[in-house]
Amino acid sequence: MRAAVTTGLGLLLAGRLAAQDAARIAEAQSLLAPLVESYGVSGAEAPVRATVERLLPAWAKAETDTAGNLWVRVGKGDPLVVFVAHLDEIGFSVTGIRDDGSLELASRGGFFASLFEAEPALVHTGATSVPGVFTPRDSAPASPRRAPGPLRVDVGTASRAATESLGVRVGQTVTMPKRYVRLAGTRATGRSFDDRVGCVAQLLALRRLDPARLRHEVVFIFSVREEIGLEGAAAAAAALGVRPRRVHAIDTFVSADSPLEPQAFAVAPIGRGPVVRALDQSAVTPHALVDSLTALARARAIPLQVGATNGGNDGSVFAPWGVPDVAIGWPLRYAHSPAEVIDLKDVVHLGDVIAAIAERW
Amino acid sequence: MDSRWKIRLGLSLLVTGPAPGLLAQTAGGSATDLAVRLAGMTAVTGYERAMVDTLLTLLPGAERDRAGNAVLVFGSGAPRRLAACPLDETGFAVGRVRPDGWLTLHRSPARLRAPGPLFDQQLEGQQVTVFGRRGPVPGVVAVRSVHLTRGRASLPGEPFTADDAFVDLGAATDREVAGLGVGILSPVAVTKRPHRYGADKLAAPMAGRRAACAALLTATRHAVAEQGMVPLRGTTVVAFVVEQQLGARGLLTLATNRGPFEETRVADDAAGAGQLKNAGLPEGPRAALGRLGGWEIATGYAGTAVETVGLGQVEQVSTTIAAWLRGEAGR
Repeated sequence: MRAAVTTGLGLLLAGRLAAQDAARIAEAQSLLAPLVESYGVSGAEAPVRATVERLLPAWAKAETDTAGNLWVRVGKGDPLVVFVAHLDEIGFSVTGIRDDGSLELASRGGFFASLFEAEPALVHTGATSVPGVFTPRDSAPASPRRAPGPLRVDVGTASRAATESLGVRVGQTVTMPKRYVRLAGTRATGRSFDDRVGCVAQLLALRRLDPARLRHEVVFIFSVREEIGLEGAAAAAAALGVRPRRVHAIDTFVSADSPLEPQAFAVAPIGRGPVVRALDQSAVTPHALVDSLTALARARAIPLQVGATNGGNDGSVFAPWGVPDVAIGWPLRYAHSPAEVIDLKDVVHLGDVIAAIAERW
Repeated sequence: MDSRWKIRLGLSLLVTGPAPGLLAQTAGGSATDLAVRLAGMTAVTGYERAMVDTLLTLLPGAERDRAGNAVLVFGSGAPRRLAACPLDETGFAVGRVRPDGWLTLHRSPARLRAPGPLFDQQLEGQQVTVFGRRGPVPGVVAVRSVHLTRGRASLPGEPFTADDAFVDLGAATDREVAGLGVGILSPVAVTKRPHRYGADKLAAPMAGRRAACAALLTATRHAVAEQGMVPLRGTTVVAFVVEQQLGARGLLTLATNRGPFEETRVADDAAGAGQLKNAGLPEGPRAALGRLGGWEIATGYAGTAVETVGLGQVEQVSTTIAAWLRGEAGR
């Protein structure tokens, strides 16, 4: 009988936890969907920055620096701990308007151009977007190559003047329309999860923190121009100098969790927790810091994976000031594609890890 | 229903067509509106049923025939004329559900080659819809992460093919996939999100064929609403046909079951019209179609995910079809 009661309580507790998980996943999704559906190619992050500001807790005071980074400072005193998630996404900029009205483009960030060929396009002209299409290659030979030539956009006009009359100008940014879509279970797809998920994790942590109880200062930075060379973070690092004890880049862990990827490294399955991005092309995290972080997560029963992947992270530009970079990500399938896939549980747990670090490490 | 009543109802429809008031209630919607709506739908060859269901709703009095076509018959006697529009598109069906939840694909119709050398590549790294037994299920087609190709072999130079496609529904096991109502043979297509740009352009996969069907549908709905759909003389059959890409099976079923016709007009995109002319149809059913003509919708970027039509032309074609339905010369 006693065992039965225990089992019953266990089931009840499990039910409550499940309900809590569902509520937390719903909260993460409510933050992520509007951020994913905001557009912000590197150098044109204003719409995303505005969405982040709208989603901050009421007590948070945000400032935008001259580089365009959004800063939220919480708590007081040393040591200073910094978190950085980037606002920008990959895309294109307009480099020319041709006589036939079509647009010439340059890439902003790294991706496979074939994923954009013959897809809908949006030219971001300011307050509005002008729809068009990424034109398919003119003619495909019997055995074409996978990669297209330079991509162009057709906005449905036949002359340069007609295109300009729509408000299109050289220097504006171009993307593909995107939508947040929930998949089976707790998974979701969309474009620019990299790094809107990082932004959401920082927002979740801010919502959970009690600023009055923090024992030191924590700065949350929502950075710009990461995809084109970590430029916003570099400006923030220069502003902070030697003061930070640590920096935590909160960014994608590009995962090999797919039948297409070699399985030599980066094997962090989605849904099994955030990942300490201990080794990538820009930084190596000392073992001692990895161990401290995993111990902290274990103490709070937060699932945490440790891995090595490719790519650079915003924390690495703090290195010249001697600031250790303990980058943390969430596993992402199909990075920099229109079909990125995440597990929302990882987003929730990443928010937990950030809050735990702010409070206890 | 008593079979005698079925016969009487059928005869009634055959002779008089549907009540004009019935169609008048649903005659709203321009060819433009319907083109956008139909362009958002999927009808993989052999799996057109859901789209036919929609057309039966939009065209009261129409019925599904033994091939699966949506057919509306009005008037009686000779001459007998047929106006048709093909519905189907090359797509995919689930070929296998892997134990880890990923799906692999087979093309439908199951030709050895895709319609074009870059046709399958339009799947890679894009969102798709799998039409399961419980409704549409969103998914994506896997693509390598660009970061993980650095310093390693990048994507192969050859175009992506359906054999390279792994569909990710977010499911972690084959049981989860089954729980979504998805299994072998579930149809799969790139998720349709019709995209308007320029002054009057509509881009979507199969936009030309969908626009052609919208023109025929609009003309039929308006004609029936305005004049009770009584042709000046003879019998007119309007049909939205299935499996055009499998030897024009739907169209030929009409020819053999409802023909012979004095004249057949097919509304389609330019590529489809050309294929029909060169299809080498079997002699008997072909003869039952009578004089073969068509209404063609011009397309840009044909055969791609941004196949583009001018909605102004769609409205013009619809007007032309309406004149033909009324018995006026029109082409």
